[in-house]
Amino acid sequence: MDRLLRPFIRDWWGILLLLLAWQAWVVLSGLNAIVMPRPLDVVADIATNLPVYLPALGISLAAAAFGLVGGFMLGLGLGILTWASTIAAGMLTPVTVLFSSVPVVTLIPILARLFGYGPGTVVAITVIISFFPAFVFSSAGLRALPPGSADLFRVLGASRWRVLTSLALPAAMPNLAVALRIGAAHALLAAMVAEYLMGSSGLGAMFAAAKSELNTERALGASLIVAAISLTLYLLSLRVEHWARARYG
Amino acid sequence: MRLARDPRVLGVLGTLVLCLAWEGIGASGLGGFTWPPLSRVLAMLADPDRWDLFGRAAGSTLASAVVGYIFGTLAGVALAMLTHFLPRLAPGADRLAAGMHAIPTVALAPVFLILLPADSTPPTLAGIGVAFLVYVAAAAGLRAASAAHRDLFQVLGAHPSARLLRLDLPAGLPSIATGLRLAVPAALIGAVIGEWFGAPRGLGVLIVNGMQNFQIVLLWSAVLLVALISLTAYLIAGAIERAVHARFR
Repeated sequence: MDRLLRPFIRDWWGILLLLLAWQAWVVLSGLNAIVMPRPLDVVADIATNLPVYLPALGISLAAAAFGLVGGFMLGLGLGILTWASTIAAGMLTPVTVLFSSVPVVTLIPILARLFGYGPGTVVAITVIISFFPAFVFSSAGLRALPPGSADLFRVLGASRWRVLTSLALPAAMPNLAVALRIGAAHALLAAMVAEYLMGSSGLGAMFAAAKSELNTERALGASLIVAAISLTLYLLSLRVEHWARARYG
Repeated sequence: MRLARDPRVLGVLGTLVLCLAWEGIGASGLGGFTWPPLSRVLAMLADPDRWDLFGRAAGSTLASAVVGYIFGTLAGVALAMLTHFLPRLAPGADRLAAGMHAIPTVALAPVFLILLPADSTPPTLAGIGVAFLVYVAAAAGLRAASAAHRDLFQVLGAHPSARLLRLDLPAGLPSIATGLRLAVPAALIGAVIGEWFGAPRGLGVLIVNGMQNFQIVLLWSAVLLVALISLTAYLIAGAIERAVHARFR
């Protein structure tokens, strides 16, 4: 027991402390449970209302997943395009600079108005938001070649296609893994914010409805589920990143 | 032809193409009526009658972002110093920071809406985004001093606080400065998303109102203003970063 508990506390004391502080704060401040539910109340609400939570979660996750895949393909595609042409790469540097210097999330209301309040809009928004990290990291990764390797390929008379598939793409794998990790977090955030702002469907809309009905347990339940899923996704993508570094780095 | 390959020339060219495309799509009506031409957006920002509105909103958002930026930086550096002196706490602190970062800000917003008055949600969300980036940069920076220097301090019997002030902190400043640059857009994202969750004023409020009331030009103007503020602050932070790198490396 001790062998299991010690590493667990060593790795997770920060988050445990946060949950304990929440519970203690509610108990000590004597706040009404309706105003500020305890973490255990929220878990109970999730457990007893699974039929409410699960469909909303499914919608949000599907939107985030489709958006992530679409944005990733688009970003990688454009990254390869700029890899093939230095002029295109130079002209697209403003996009790269904008992604790192400007809060891209603020584009969501504009995109919501451009595409209209339809069911496809959330997916379209997540595609565009996840496009940015995929494009920035893939175009940087395709150029991060091991020293001398490009010369070797040139001497051996490799075609452009061959250089791309055998050298540039494998060299870009660690960067693509980073893009996936950042993109996954971005996609879920974008899907939730879009659903919240448009009040359409999914966890974001559920949270908006719970907020206007002052149903704090429901709102916090949505928060807790998203938090748990994002943490899992983050830890998973960290694994992928380690694997990509070990295999291709 | 050499001039045409200069990355700066290509970057300016790319920006021009982006602006022209924005103007052209808007003026031709290709993007529908929710895509205004750039000239109309700029005209609204340049209209002195609007300066009062934009000025108050931008001031409020900027104040939230700055407060969050300062407290987030202090929290990030403090946590990094704590794990620097007590390395046993490092894995848990890493998880806490990564966890807070991986969880979409939307998911945390309800918790703070309940805990705090409405106008302190934007600075809090800004602070959380900043704290993670600064913590990661500071934790890496404090480890950057060379082993030989560290041994010297050890042999001369330096007090741990003297070692921190005279060796680890100066050696870590370049990394911290990089983190501070990357944290600029994070502070603005936090401030704007915090405002979407019900702050009384700010650019985020203008954006959501513009979206919901079909004030399309106002919506685009407010988003452009956020982007311009972020870009300016990012460039200033970049200049500071270069000065720190020149002095401490």
